[in-house]
Amino acid sequence: MTLWNTAPWLVWCIVLPLSAGILTFLFRRAAPWIGIASALGSAIAVAGLAAQVMHSGPLRYSVGGWGVPLGIDLRADGLSVLMLVMSAVIAVAVSVYAACYFSDTDAADKHAAQAHQRAYFWPLWMFLLAGLNGLFLAADIFHLYVTLELLGFAAVSLAALAGKRAAVVAAMRYLLVSLSGSLFFLFGVAILYAAYATVDLTALAGKVQPGPLAWSALALMAAGLLIKGAVFPLHFWLPPAHANAPTPVSALLSALVVKASFYILLRLWFELFSAVVTPATATFLGLLGAGAILWGSAQALHQPRLKLLVAYSTVAQLGYLMLVFPLTQNAGSALTAWSACVYFVLAHACAKTAMFLAAGNIAHAAGHDRIADLDGITQALPLSVAAFALAGISLIGLPPSGGFIAKWMLLQAAIGSGEWGWATLILAGSLLAVAYVLRVLWHAFTQVEVARPLHRVPRTMEWSALALSLLAVLLGLMAARPVELLRTGAPASIHAPGQT
Amino acid sequence: MNAPDGITDDTRLTPLRLIIMLFVLTLAGALGWAVCSLPEYSSGLAVTALAELSNSGVLNPVTAAVLNYRGYDTLLEIAVLLLAVIGVWSLAQAEPPAAFEPASPVLLSFMRIVLPLMILIAGYLLWIGSFAPGGAFQGGAVLAGVLVLLRLSNQDFAIWSHEVWLRFCLVLGLSVFIAVAVGVMAGGGKLLEYPRAHAGMLILLIESAALISIALTLAALFVGGRALSDEDSSSASENGVQPK
Repeated sequence: MTLWNTAPWLVWCIVLPLSAGILTFLFRRAAPWIGIASALGSAIAVAGLAAQVMHSGPLRYSVGGWGVPLGIDLRADGLSVLMLVMSAVIAVAVSVYAACYFSDTDAADKHAAQAHQRAYFWPLWMFLLAGLNGLFLAADIFHLYVTLELLGFAAVSLAALAGKRAAVVAAMRYLLVSLSGSLFFLFGVAILYAAYATVDLTALAGKVQPGPLAWSALALMAAGLLIKGAVFPLHFWLPPAHANAPTPVSALLSALVVKASFYILLRLWFELFSAVVTPATATFLGLLGAGAILWGSAQALHQPRLKLLVAYSTVAQLGYLMLVFPLTQNAGSALTAWSACVYFVLAHACAKTAMFLAAGNIAHAAGHDRIADLDGITQALPLSVAAFALAGISLIGLPPSGGFIAKWMLLQAAIGSGEWGWATLILAGSLLAVAYVLRVLWHAFTQVEVARPLHRVPRTMEWSALALSLLAVLLGLMAARPVELLRTGAPASIHAPGQT
Repeated sequence: MNAPDGITDDTRLTPLRLIIMLFVLTLAGALGWAVCSLPEYSSGLAVTALAELSNSGVLNPVTAAVLNYRGYDTLLEIAVLLLAVIGVWSLAQAEPPAAFEPASPVLLSFMRIVLPLMILIAGYLLWIGSFAPGGAFQGGAVLAGVLVLLRLSNQDFAIWSHEVWLRFCLVLGLSVFIAVAVGVMAGGGKLLEYPRAHAGMLILLIESAALISIALTLAALFVGGRALSDEDSSSASENGVQPK
């Protein structure tokens, strides 16, 4: 065995950003460099872990050497590795962008608060990354709660970082929502521990029986996660919180933080409660998703501000993720639907980050983000508008983007199981996405005679948006590896009898 | 004077309120049903925890669970505490102390008696944590009480004016915890797998560092804003862009 194979990579995925959180809090001048180094370091650790999992299958790690039930286990399987890869890629891109964003002296909103934002962005962001990585590796429902809290507090503080009244009000609402979501989740954990005397996911999965205890635990935990995950109609807090934050923060919140709640929901649904869930609850969650797609897109269509439009598009896109629950009911297409939905998470993360960064660049250059007044912005910012358009292609689901593959697999699953209703919904959602993406591009590509004076946007900021949007489009061409990886340790409940 | 937004003394039963009421009652009923079907007595993991106690380095099962069996949870919780302070500091600046207002002589003479005792008690709680209820969180809370009393009597300028030292002390607990957690891996163990012979000593080391950070964290949250000497805050507040 080589060192590469036996090194505890998953520990470094958590310890590196945690230590960087401390260092960036202590040493402010060096904070951007420490932050980027830690994002790169965690990306290397994630790559090492991915190689291990691809080589030798899912792995478990007993922190403290105690093992279940006394200690806490970490685990890495295909799903958690893909989530970690997603957060690592976004982390590197956003860190590079943020280093430039917070130190740009030519900024449109140039004021002394920038120094303050720069001082606090890095430690908060590093703790957010540690919380995310910890969450994706947790195999223990109480530990999931702890990581949710770490993630939640970091996210709320980041949302308030802009310091403007609207941002602070939105962050306060986000705090209350996030706390109540966590408490619901904790209540479910308490019920499960009282009933089954263990908090390990795998151990619990073998013990949970249908009955009032499991139903109420599922209801409480799912409710908490749906609030935190901003699933329609509990999405009310998301658009103001995401749209009023500084650009790198908006991208992180929309691309990564809401996905964490969805990830836990997947774990609970397909592993912990697989014996408890019913087709009716699956359909109910699917209907919430349908509501999200239609309502979120409709709202995006008439938002006056660009960042709000992008935020409502997140509400809509989160709806597609909910379709995994009804579409996995048919055993024949369960694996397709499951892979589709995880791929959707990856594609959306890249596309949404790129879109928020591009929107931030546009707002930065124009000094505002009113869509109606963006005429001619393409002449000044061709790269950022290109990034926005490419990200839009993935959100709409045009080939060869990652969004296309994800929607294609979703459609396959829906048609394969004869669910024409869901198939129609997926197509309708794409048409609505076409409408709101084109609405922005319509204005952006309008030629104007006299360009308004614009603020300069640093090249790094334009390129990081473009790189991610290219990745979102190219994700469609490299779908085979991730989908293959996803089968490693995929829950038994989605494996159809004939499939492996 | 108008009531703040959303707060009214209107007690009419609107349809929305009726729906919310019914929803909450259903939820309460369902939870009641669930709680009634819980096993009447469950020892949870207490038996296992006690059985392993001799390997944990401490004699108090709660300390064993917090610092050893589930030490990784505690590690992240200490990070949450630090994060709370960073979050609060990112939002606002502390109120300047009312320097010209002398503290009441009664309070001052009271403090002369109790402060030394409180510091002693904090240390004692930390020490007995290894074999009886106590530990860093309890001791830290008492020590935070010392800082709160100093704050209330305007005697704490020296503490909050050294911003750099403050930051080092705030991160001390988490830093030592991580250093120990990772350090024990050098001997071939797993994360936080203390060598059995040194477990008790390492736990005491972590708890001592955590005690200081926890006390400062709680006191910093009481003060409610970053220190006045924070180099970035002075320029920011001049421009009036900071939220109050």
